[in-house]
Amino acid sequence: MIRVHNLTKVIQTGTHRVEILKGIDLEVARGEVVAVVGPSGSGKSTLLGLLAGLDTPTSGSIVLDGQEIAGMDEDTLAVLRGRKIGVVFQSYHLIPTLTAEENVMLPAELAGNGDGIRDRARDLLDRVGLKERRDHYPVQLSGGEQQRVALARAFMARPPILLADEPTGNLDSANGRMVLDSLLALNQREGTTLVLVTHDAELTRHARRTIAMRDGRIVPGHEGG
Amino acid sequence: MPWLRLAWRDLRSSKARFLFVVLAVAVGVGSLTGVRSFSRAFRAMLLTNARTLMAADMTVRIFGRPTPPQEAVLRELEARGVRRTQVTETVTMAATPGSQPLLVTLKAVDPAIYPFYGEVKLEPEGQLRTVLNDGTAVVSEDLLLRLGARTGGAIRLGGQDFRIAAVLAAEPDRLTGTLNVGPRVMITHGGLDRTGLISLGSRASERFLFRLPPRGPGVEEVRRIFKRAFPESTIADYRETHPIITRALDRSTTFLSLVSLIALVVGALGVGTAIDAHLRQKMDTIAILKCLGARSSQVLRIYVVQTLILGVAGGLAGVAVGAAVTRAFPVLLSRILPAAPALGWDPLPAIQGLIIGVAATLLFTVPPLLGVRGIRPNIIFRREMAETAPRRRWGASLVSGAAIVAGIGVIAAWLVEGDARLALRMGAYFAGGLALALLALAGIARLLLAGLKSLVRHVRLPVTLRHGVANLYRPGTHSTAVLVALGVGVMFTLTVFLLQRSLVDQIAGSAPPGMPNVFLLDIPAADRQGLAALAARQAGVERPLEVSTSVSMKIESVNGVAVEQLPLQQFGRRFLRTRPVTWMAQKPAELVVLQGAWWDAARPAPEPQVSVQEEAARILGVKPGSTLAWNAWGRKVQSRVAAVHRSEAVRTTARFEFIFSPGALEGMPAVYFGSMRVRPRDVGALQRALYDRFPTVTVVNVADVLEIIQQVVDQVAVVYRFLSLFIILAGAVILASSVAGTRFRRVREVAILKALGATRRRVAGVFSVEFLLLGAVAGLMGGLLATGFTAALLKGLLDAPFRLDPLPAAAAVVLTALLANAAGWVASWRILGRKPLEVLRD
Repeated sequence: MIRVHNLTKVIQTGTHRVEILKGIDLEVARGEVVAVVGPSGSGKSTLLGLLAGLDTPTSGSIVLDGQEIAGMDEDTLAVLRGRKIGVVFQSYHLIPTLTAEENVMLPAELAGNGDGIRDRARDLLDRVGLKERRDHYPVQLSGGEQQRVALARAFMARPPILLADEPTGNLDSANGRMVLDSLLALNQREGTTLVLVTHDAELTRHARRTIAMRDGRIVPGHEGG
Repeated sequence: MPWLRLAWRDLRSSKARFLFVVLAVAVGVGSLTGVRSFSRAFRAMLLTNARTLMAADMTVRIFGRPTPPQEAVLRELEARGVRRTQVTETVTMAATPGSQPLLVTLKAVDPAIYPFYGEVKLEPEGQLRTVLNDGTAVVSEDLLLRLGARTGGAIRLGGQDFRIAAVLAAEPDRLTGTLNVGPRVMITHGGLDRTGLISLGSRASERFLFRLPPRGPGVEEVRRIFKRAFPESTIADYRETHPIITRALDRSTTFLSLVSLIALVVGALGVGTAIDAHLRQKMDTIAILKCLGARSSQVLRIYVVQTLILGVAGGLAGVAVGAAVTRAFPVLLSRILPAAPALGWDPLPAIQGLIIGVAATLLFTVPPLLGVRGIRPNIIFRREMAETAPRRRWGASLVSGAAIVAGIGVIAAWLVEGDARLALRMGAYFAGGLALALLALAGIARLLLAGLKSLVRHVRLPVTLRHGVANLYRPGTHSTAVLVALGVGVMFTLTVFLLQRSLVDQIAGSAPPGMPNVFLLDIPAADRQGLAALAARQAGVERPLEVSTSVSMKIESVNGVAVEQLPLQQFGRRFLRTRPVTWMAQKPAELVVLQGAWWDAARPAPEPQVSVQEEAARILGVKPGSTLAWNAWGRKVQSRVAAVHRSEAVRTTARFEFIFSPGALEGMPAVYFGSMRVRPRDVGALQRALYDRFPTVTVVNVADVLEIIQQVVDQVAVVYRFLSLFIILAGAVILASSVAGTRFRRVREVAILKALGATRRRVAGVFSVEFLLLGAVAGLMGGLLATGFTAALLKGLLDAPFRLDPLPAAAAVVLTALLANAAGWVASWRILGRKPLEVLRD
C-alpha cells in the first residue's frame, strides 16, 4: 500500500543545512496499522507530511497505492489526497467559519462528490459521538470534540490511507481515550491503512507494528509488532 | 524611550499590513496637499501677475454705461494723470457670407492704449495698434474653424462687415474678463459703434482699466474715490488677487479640499480597522504584558506610539504624493488656466496635510485602542483557536464615535476658505453628512452581509462559491469597513458622473416640452413688432415668440433703510447691484400671488406698485405695504410693494424678482428679449432668417447653451473625478490592507484546504469569489446611493428631472468588483504558493 525508498529531506536555512530525514526505507501493507514513535525532532512528523504529499522530498521515492508521488506537482498531489489520503493533525485544523457538519463534508465536496454526503457526514459525526453538535462552530467545541470532528472529516472521502500526526497529543487522558476509541472503531469499519505518529503508549499498543525513529533514521531492530 | 522601542519592535512584525495602512493615509494626505499646494501656487501666480492679469493697475467693472456723475469723476481723475481705457464685452452673433450665424463674445478695446500691462499675442505676429482699426477684427482660432473663415476674409457683426486682420492667440486680461461664451472677437470701440449693438440699457459689461501715474493720486486714494462713485461695481487693484477669481478659487479650494478629506477619512478608516485587526492578533502579547505587570495605560502607550508612527509615515508619503498631484492640475485645467503657476515645494500645505493626516489617523484608532483596556490577562489560559475580539463597552463606543465626528468637523472647518462662521457651518455640515453617509453605508453593508450569510446557510451553493461567501463574514475580516470605504468612493465618483451627464443630457435633449428652446437677446424696441411677425412666419414654431422687457435698476432703500445697511448674506448680496426688473399690466397665468393683491390696470394707484418674488421678499424683509426706493440711470423711483408672488413655471425667461405696475418705468432705457419654441430641426433656418433681417439681435439656441455649460461642467467634473479616484484608491488600499490583516488565517486555511484535497485553482476560486463579491457589493451600494443622491440633488436643488439609467450603476458594480479582485490578490497572491506542511506544523 505504501512503499518508501531511500527518502531524504534536507532544509536549507540561511547558512545552515539541516538533514531531517536521512534515507528512509519503509513498507506498509494494505489494512495495516503502524505507529511511528521517537523523540522530538527525530523526523516522524516530516515523514508523515511527505507521505501525505503535504511537502516534497529532497530525494527518494514514495509509492502510494501503486502511484509514485515524489515528483508530482502540488495540484496533482491535492487531488490525490482528496481521493486517497485522510489526514488528522495534532492541532485539529478545522475551518473556523464552518460548522462541524460542514467541516466534515468538506473533503467530499472538494472531490466533487455531491450525492448523500450530508447523510454520510451525519453518520460519521454520530459515530464519533457528536450527532447533537453538528451545527456548532469549532469555537463552540472542546479540544477533544474538535479532534473527533477532524477524525470524521478524515474518513469522509473513504480514503484507503489515513495518516494521523499525534492525534491525542493536545488532549487530556479522558479525551485522548475517546478520540482513540473513535479512531480505532472507524478504522476497523472502513478498513483503512493507518499510519500514526505518536508518543502515546496506549495508541502504540493498538498498532500491529511500531517503527522507532531517531535523528532522521529508522532505528534498526525496533521495527516490529 | 522604551515605549518607542517596544512599539517599533511590535510594528516590524506586521510590515506587510502596515505598508498598506501607510499607503491609505498617503493617498488622502496626497490628494489634500496636492489641492492646497496648487491653490496656493495659483493664488501666488495671480498676485505676482496681478497687473498683467488685469492689464492695468486698477479696474472697475460695471454693467451698462456710466452715469453722468460717474463720467465726471473719471474726467477729474484723468486730469490728475490717471490714464484710462475702456473695455466693453458683450455677446452677439457673427457670420460669414453663407455661414450659419454663431454666438461669440465681442470685446471692444482702444488698441492705442490697451493693454496697459501684458501683451496681446497675434498670429501672424503683429501689434494690436497697427492691425486693429474700425474696419478690422482679430478673432480666436476656433471662430475661423467654425465659420470656415480665414485671415484676410470678412466677418459680419451686427450687420457690418469687418476684415479679419489676425488670429487672437492670447489676451492678458482674459481671466478677469466678464464673458466667456463661444469664440472671441476683438474690435475697436469705433467698430462697436458701427455695429449698433450697444444701446442704453444693453446688458454689456464695461470695464475701465486704469494706469496710475508714478507721482499723483495713489492706489488707496483712487480706490476710495471709485468706491464712492461706483458703489455697486467690482473694484480690483494690483495689490490683491482679483476678487472674482479669488472668490471662485476659494470656493473650489474648499470643495476640492473636502473631497480630499473624504479620501483621507476613508484612509483613516482603514488605519482604524488595521489597528483593530492588529490588536486582535496581539491579544496574547497584551495579556502577557499585563501578566508581567504592565498597566493598561502603559500598553496603550505602545499602540498609540505605533499609530503615530503610521500616521507620520503616511503623512510624509502623502506629501510626496501631493507634489505629483499638484503637477497634475495644470494638465487637467489646461483649457482654462491663463498661465502656469510656479509649482515649487510649498511647506505650508505639506505641514497642514501632515497634521491632518496624523489627527485623522489617531481619531479613527480611538475605538480599537480603548479596547486594549478590556483585555484581561487570564485570556492566555483559556483562549481557544478562534480569535475573540477585545471587549467593547457601548458607552465608550458612543464617546469615541462622537469624538471622531467632532474631530472631522474641526478638520473640515480648518480647510474651509472664508470667515470663521462659514468655516464652522461647513465643518458641521461636512462631519454630519459624512457621519450619516458612513452610517447608512455601514447599515446597508451589514444587511447585505447578513443576507449572504443566510443564503449560504439555506441554499446549497457550489463549494467554491460557499467558501468565498463565508470568507466575507469570518471573524476579523472587517468586511463592513471595506464595503463602506469602497462604497464611499464609488458613490462619490458615480454621483459626479451622473450629475454631469444628467445636466448635459437635460439641456441636450432639448428643453422640456413646452419650454422655450430659442432665446433672443438685445431686441431693439423699434424692431419688436417686425421681429415677432417674422418669427411667427417661420416653420416649426411650437410656441410663439414672447417678448419680455427688462430695465436695470438698483435698490437704494427698503422701508427707508439704505440697502447697504441690510444684513445681506451670500446670494442675498445681489441686491446691492443693479437688478433686471420688468412691468406688466395683467398677472401672467403662471404667477401665484401669495400675499397682497395684483393691481387693477384700469385704476392705477397714485404711486408705482411692485410685486416681489417670494424669496427676494424674504431676503429683503418686505411684505405688501413696504416701500422700495430705486435708482435707474440717475432717476429715483419710489415704489410700494403690492404683492408677493411665486412663479410656478420653471426656467421661463421672464422669471423676474420685481414686477412693476404699468407706467412706473416709462421712458427708462429698456432692453427686450424673447423666447420661443421651435422644432429642433428648424432652429437653424430661424437663426438665419432672423440674422438676415435683424443682425444686432443675438439668437441663442439650446445647443449654444449646452456647449457653454458642457465646457464648464466638463472642466469642473474632470477635477472632481480625478480627486474622487483617490477615494476609490484609498478604498482599494484598505481592502488590500484588510486582506493582508487576515493573512495568518488565510495561510492556515489554504493549507487545510490543500491538505483536504483542494487544488490551487480551487483555492484561487474561493479567494476570487470573496474579492469579487466584496467589490460587487460595494459597487452596488455606491451605485444605489449615487443614483438616489443624484435624483435628490437634481430634483431638490437643481429643479431638473431625473431619468433612471441602470447602466452606469451596473458598470460601477463590474468595475469595482474587478478593482477589488486586483487589490485582494495584490495582498494575497504569495499565500497560494506555500507548502501546506510548513504552515500546519507551526
